[in-house]
Amino acid sequence: MTVEMLNAEQISAILIISPFLAALVCYLIRVSAARSFVVLITGGVLIISAVLLIPLTPFSLSPPPFLGINIHVIVQTLDVLLLLIILYFGFKYRHIVIKALALLQIILLLYCEFFLIQNKQDNSTLYCDHLTLVMVLIISIVGAIICFQAIPYMKIHEAHWSPVKSRQHRFFLVMMMFLGAMNGLVLSNDLMIFYFFFELTTLCSFLLIGHDKTKLAIENALRALWMNSLGGALFIAAIVIIYPITGTLALQQILTPANTGAKMFMLAMALLCVAAFTKSAQFPFQSWLLGAMVAPTPVSALLHSSTMVKVGVYFILRLAPAIKATFLSQSLAIFGAFGFLAAAALAVGQSNGKKVLAYSTISNLGLIFACAGLNTSESVMAAMLLIVFHAMIKALLFLCVGAIEQRIDSRDIEDMRGLYANMPLTALITVMGVIMMIMPPFGVLLSKWMAMEAAASNLYVIFMIALGSALTVMYWARWAGTLMSDPFAGRFRPEYQPLLTWTALGSLCTGAGLLSISAPWFYIKIIAPVMSGPYFPPYTVRDGILENSFGVFAVFPLSVVAVAGFVLSVWALKRASGARIVAPYLGGAQTTEPGKFKGPMNQTIKAEARNYYLSSIFGEKKLTTWINLGAGVLLTLLLGGTL
Amino acid sequence: MTQNIAQILAGIAAGPFLGGLISGLDRILTARLQARIGPPVLQPFFDVMKLLSKEKMAVNVWQAFCAYCYLVATAISLVLFFLQSDLLLILFTQAVGAVFLVVGALSSTSPYSQVGAHRELLQILTYEPLLVLVVVGIYLETGSFKISAVFNWHEPLLLKLPFLFLALGYALTIKLRKSPFDLSTSHHAHQELVKGLLTDYSGPFLALIEVGHWYEIMLILGLCSLFWATSWFGVIMLVSITYMLELIIDNVSARMNWRWMLGYVWAMGLTLSLVNLIWLYQG
Repeated sequence: MTVEMLNAEQISAILIISPFLAALVCYLIRVSAARSFVVLITGGVLIISAVLLIPLTPFSLSPPPFLGINIHVIVQTLDVLLLLIILYFGFKYRHIVIKALALLQIILLLYCEFFLIQNKQDNSTLYCDHLTLVMVLIISIVGAIICFQAIPYMKIHEAHWSPVKSRQHRFFLVMMMFLGAMNGLVLSNDLMIFYFFFELTTLCSFLLIGHDKTKLAIENALRALWMNSLGGALFIAAIVIIYPITGTLALQQILTPANTGAKMFMLAMALLCVAAFTKSAQFPFQSWLLGAMVAPTPVSALLHSSTMVKVGVYFILRLAPAIKATFLSQSLAIFGAFGFLAAAALAVGQSNGKKVLAYSTISNLGLIFACAGLNTSESVMAAMLLIVFHAMIKALLFLCVGAIEQRIDSRDIEDMRGLYANMPLTALITVMGVIMMIMPPFGVLLSKWMAMEAAASNLYVIFMIALGSALTVMYWARWAGTLMSDPFAGRFRPEYQPLLTWTALGSLCTGAGLLSISAPWFYIKIIAPVMSGPYFPPYTVRDGILENSFGVFAVFPLSVVAVAGFVLSVWALKRASGARIVAPYLGGAQTTEPGKFKGPMNQTIKAEARNYYLSSIFGEKKLTTWINLGAGVLLTLLLGGTL
Repeated sequence: MTQNIAQILAGIAAGPFLGGLISGLDRILTARLQARIGPPVLQPFFDVMKLLSKEKMAVNVWQAFCAYCYLVATAISLVLFFLQSDLLLILFTQAVGAVFLVVGALSSTSPYSQVGAHRELLQILTYEPLLVLVVVGIYLETGSFKISAVFNWHEPLLLKLPFLFLALGYALTIKLRKSPFDLSTSHHAHQELVKGLLTDYSGPFLALIEVGHWYEIMLILGLCSLFWATSWFGVIMLVSITYMLELIIDNVSARMNWRWMLGYVWAMGLTLSLVNLIWLYQG
């Protein structure tokens, strides 16, 4: 069978089912080489299938019965099974909340299945438009790259850190299963099937956070499980409310204007919003994501920055047309902007690298929620671009921190001082990642620019975004500077890393850079088709310049200038390497030892400086309670406004 | 096309020439306020030329790289201003320069550089939101983020955005490195941090930073000029009066610490901005 002959149905099947098969193989064949081979092959298959999906979009289809059984019946059976597994963990760890939430979900699910939902045949089960396509591309390409890097990472991890004997088969089982679950989630059009995959990602997250089996890991995994189960419970509650109104669970039919007027409909939408907030770790549910940082770094990169936490924002973007110009949408915008600001403030107070990344993720997700809530063509486009670029660059940064941590045995920013001397190439790539997070003409800033121009018509939102982005610049610039600080070790000689690590870091870094430069064309090809229904493509593209009636961003010309400026600076650097390298001024007569000077009484003093973390203002202890309280108030507003 | 090239060239030239000239005038006027005669008006140019002719010395090559990036980014932001581009985009480009300056200072182990760099970050944190809100105010009034729209506007923006102009004044004072906000570095090496984040920049690299700073001065003064963009006379009067006030403030106030700066400027500046913005939203 040649590639051209594959149709949408087959490719969807490959995208969803092949990772599950790979997961099974990883679990059963416990040979390292075979497992690596399977992961590499599956990753390759996913990448190719995702690319092949581009020309086929959009489509919608209903798969034929499997072995004579309706797909819906199979999924619902699996769903009950899944909830029973979660219930089992509730009993195993004696966690009352998990038990209660699992039981509640089982009851609601059975109620839906046997009493509520009469018609199980009516809808197209899978639906793929360009919003889905963007998610599939991220999951399959970024996800595969992260899994590649996980192969060498987990070897080192197990050899040095993990206190238990080899559990790599289990690790890759869950990682692969997760990729399948994510593809299934974004492709499904049926709320029940969506819910199943939603819960499956929760379970994957729980298993992976607890991978190292330390006390802290298990504690944090349980927290993630109960918070996400809360999201699941809200989700199924929303289904129970929606079905009597709409008579269908097909998302595309639910979101038609005929339904949106119904009284209880907005309440259901609000519940779905809160479910999305738990998944995307918005305040006051952020603590599970921070706890999740105990997991091995590929997990943080895959689940907790680039894909799983994006489920919430993806789902809200799906719902956005149905809530356009409602109070719910407005309060969503304010809630999101609040999250953006609050998480940025907390990130300033952190010196733990992974925590900075986690807060930054929460912050960016908040911005995406704000854009979805603003609900204009410009803001929705900003949200989509932000999803793409954030996924790539944050994954890159997580993988960098993982590589650094395995070398220096710390994830604290202070310990990364002078990293360039030890790990020049990794340090450079990390700095490049930071630059791509905060500087034009790169994609994250392009989307932030769009978001700000879209938000300018909402005072509360733009006010919080203005403060938040200043804080964002602060914590990123501080980190980049620390990475590149003295001492410098003469000539540039890249350090040793496994080939797969370099492949992952290199492809994500150059990929994000190239995609930034080609953003105008990416917009025309992939993003503009999403702008249908109440939205329209908000920008015109001419010579690589994005422009609308009130704003202009010369993406391509600026990229050319930036590249030219960069080349010029490197050339100048080459010339400057002839410059005499002198010791920094330390406050007294220099000694021959680096970093020491002659102080009062002729004593030798070591000069030391640490970064400002301003914990008296931005510390977690200072802020978290108040921020949670604020978020709680906003949530009440959001829910109460629909009643 | 020809017009665009002319604008680009004007932008590139305006920084070093006009910026340097303003810097020279600044020094003379400051001297007169302090009952001194002061240097000739071209002194800043002599300084930069002298620095350029010195031996290249750096604490590391990364710092030298950052100096170049700072200059390039500030020059691009001024060129974008002359091209009458998008105001937010200009602010972002200007921030690139500011970040590279900080990163370069952080690459030195000198505690003076380090503390200076962190103070500079706090200064950025203090003025950035104000600049964004000023731009938002301009958008609400003119309906566009493009500078071309401001120049086509029928009345001076100052009439509708007086409080935002005051907020811009705070940002201007911080950007010009004037008291009471000259925390991270000042024009004189007399503060407790020696020369703050510039401590370890020297010779030709310091010259690059000096020129970059001129570009930044021009940009911020350009932002001020937008508030009376209906006539050249208005632009010159507004900018001159504003700059004169800056000099007086510089000379009558002492340097404060960052806590005071962050608290005071955010409280005053953000309140002024908010009041003005609410007024615009209602209008």
